[in-house]
Amino acid sequence: MIVFEHVGKRYGGRFEALANLDFRVRRGEMVFLTGHSGAGKSSLLRLIMCLERPSRGRILVAGHDLARLHPSQVPFYRRQVGVVFQDHQLLFDRSVFHNVALPLEIRGMAPREAARRARAALDKVGLLHRERALPIELSGGEQQRVGIARAVVNKPALLLADEPTGNLDPQLSADIMALFEDFNRIGTTVMIASHDLALIARLRHRTLRLREGRLVADEEAA
Amino acid sequence: MTRQPPVPPRGARSQRTRSSSQLRGWLRHHRAMGADSARRLLRQPLGSLLTMLAIAIALVLPAALWLMLDSARLLDAELDDSATLTAYLEPRVAEGEAGRIAEAVAAQSGVAGTRLITAAEGMAEFQQALGLSDALARLDGNPLPASIVVTPDDPAPAAVRQLARSLEALAGVAEVRLDLAWLERLRHLAELGRRVALALGVLFGLGVLLVVGNTIRLAVESRRQEIEVVMLIGATHAFVRRPFLYSGAWYGLGGGLLAWALLALGNQWLATPVRALAASYGASFTLPQLGLPGSATLLICSTLLGWLGAWIAVGRHLAGIRPR
Ligand SMILES: Nc1ncnc2c1ncn2[C@@H]1O[C@H](COP(=O)(O)OP(=O)(O)OP(=O)(O)O)[C@@H](O)[C@H]1O
Ligand SMILES: [Mg+2]
Repeated sequence: MIVFEHVGKRYGGRFEALANLDFRVRRGEMVFLTGHSGAGKSSLLRLIMCLERPSRGRILVAGHDLARLHPSQVPFYRRQVGVVFQDHQLLFDRSVFHNVALPLEIRGMAPREAARRARAALDKVGLLHRERALPIELSGGEQQRVGIARAVVNKPALLLADEPTGNLDPQLSADIMALFEDFNRIGTTVMIASHDLALIARLRHRTLRLREGRLVADEEAA
Repeated sequence: MTRQPPVPPRGARSQRTRSSSQLRGWLRHHRAMGADSARRLLRQPLGSLLTMLAIAIALVLPAALWLMLDSARLLDAELDDSATLTAYLEPRVAEGEAGRIAEAVAAQSGVAGTRLITAAEGMAEFQQALGLSDALARLDGNPLPASIVVTPDDPAPAAVRQLARSLEALAGVAEVRLDLAWLERLRHLAELGRRVALALGVLFGLGVLLVVGNTIRLAVESRRQEIEVVMLIGATHAFVRRPFLYSGAWYGLGGGLLAWALLALGNQWLATPVRALAASYGASFTLPQLGLPGSATLLICSTLLGWLGAWIAVGRHLAGIRPR
C-alpha cells in the first residue's frame, strides 16, 4: 500500500528532517509511527498526503508514484486518503454534521446519500447526538472524534492519523485506538503517529520508530 | 462506541470519472455556491452596497458616453446619406425649365441621383426645419430659388469637388454648395469621441476589476483557514474558487443594476430641460435611452467584469495558500 524507497526530506535546503527512509506497508496493515518530538513523524505523514514533496527517493501509495502526480490530480488522490490531523482542522463556523459531510460535498455526492453516510460515521464515533453542535461547543476529545468521523466518511483505503490521542485521557485514548482497530479489521490500511508508548505497547501492532529523521527500528507485532 | 461495521473500503480509483452523477454533483455545487455567496453578500448589506456602488459609478460614465456615441453613430449614418451637393438654380428659371435642367444634371457622369426641389417646396422645408413659419409668412413672395439635390456616385471629397465644377458650368445653375469641410470635421469629432469612450471604458473597466478584486481578496483572506481545510481533504482549485467567482459575479450584477438605475435617474433628471431646450428651437429631441439590448449589454458586461475580477484575485491568492 505504501512504499518508501530511499526517501529524504530537507527543509530549507539544509535541515534534514527525514533521511534514507526505506520501508513498505502492506494493504490492510496497521502500523504505529513513534519517535520523540521533532523526529519527523508529521513530516512523514505529510509526504504520504502529498502536502510535501520528498527531496530524494520515491514514494508509492496505492500504486501511485507521488512524484509523477500532476498538481491537478493531487486533490483526487487526497480524496482516497483519510487523515486525522494533529490539530483537528475542523471548520468552526459549521456544525459537526456539516464538517463530517464536507469530504462528500467536495466529491459532489447527492445530499441525501451524503447525510446518510455522515450520520453513519458520526454514529461510529459516538457523536450522532451532537450533530447540530458547533465544534467550538465540543471538548477536545469530541473534536478529535469529529475529525476521525470526517476522515473515514469517504471510506478511504488508507487512513492516516497524527497524534489522534494527543491530549486525551487514557480511557478515551484506548477507545479511539479501538476505533482505528475496527477500521483496520474491515480492511483499511491504518498508519498512526503517536508517542503514547505505553498504549502502543499494549496494542501489539507493527511499529516504526524514528529518531532524528532516521528509521531506527521496525518491530513486527510481538 | 461501536455499533455497526463500516462498509469495506473500495479499491483506490486513480482516474476521475465523469459520470452523470458527477455532473449532477457539479451542478448542485454551482447552485449551492451561487445561493451561498448571495447570502454572504446580504449578510453584510452595507459593505456589499458600497462595493456595488463603487462598481456602478465606474460603469456610469462609459455607459453614458457610449449612449451619446450611439446617437452620434445614427447621425453619422444620416450624414453619409447627406454627402450631397445642392445646385441652386437662377431665380428667373421657370418651373418647367427647372425639370429640364434636373434631367440634364442627372445625365452628367458621376451623378447617382437627383431630386428637384421647387421654390415652393424649398420654402415649406425651410419653415418646417426652423419653425419660423410666423416670420416667413410675413414675407411677400418666395425669396428662395429652386434647387437640385445631387447625390454623387463617389462621396470622396475630390470627386465631389470635380462634380461641383462641372455642374456649375451648366446653364441655369447659379451656384453649387457642398459642405465637405463641415462634414469632415464632424466625422473627426465623432472618431475622437469614440476613442475617448473606448479609453475610458477600458480604464473604468480596470477600475471595476480592481474594486471587485480587492473585495474578493479580503474575502479570501478571511476564509483562509476554511480554504486550507477543504484543500487538505481533496478540494480542487475550481471547487475553492467557485463561491468567490459567484460573489464577484453578484457584485458585478448588483453594480450593473445600480448603474442602470443611475442612468435612468440621470435621464429623468435631464429630460425636462433638454426637451424644453429642443422645443425652444422648434425641434423635438429626446435623450438616448439604453433600451433592452443596451440594458442587457450593461448587465452582462458588469457581471462578467465582476466574475473576471474575482477570478484574477482568487487565482493570485490561491497560489499563496498551501495547506499546512
Ligand atoms: N515546514 C517546515 N519547515 C522547516 N522545518 C520543518 C518544517 N516542518 C517540520 N520541520 C522540522 O522537521 C522536524 C520534524 O518535524 P515533525 O513535525 O515531522 O516532527 P514530529 O515527529 O511530528 O514531532 P511532534 O511529535 O512534536 O509532532 C522538526 O525538527 C521540525 O522543526
Ligand atoms: Mg507531529
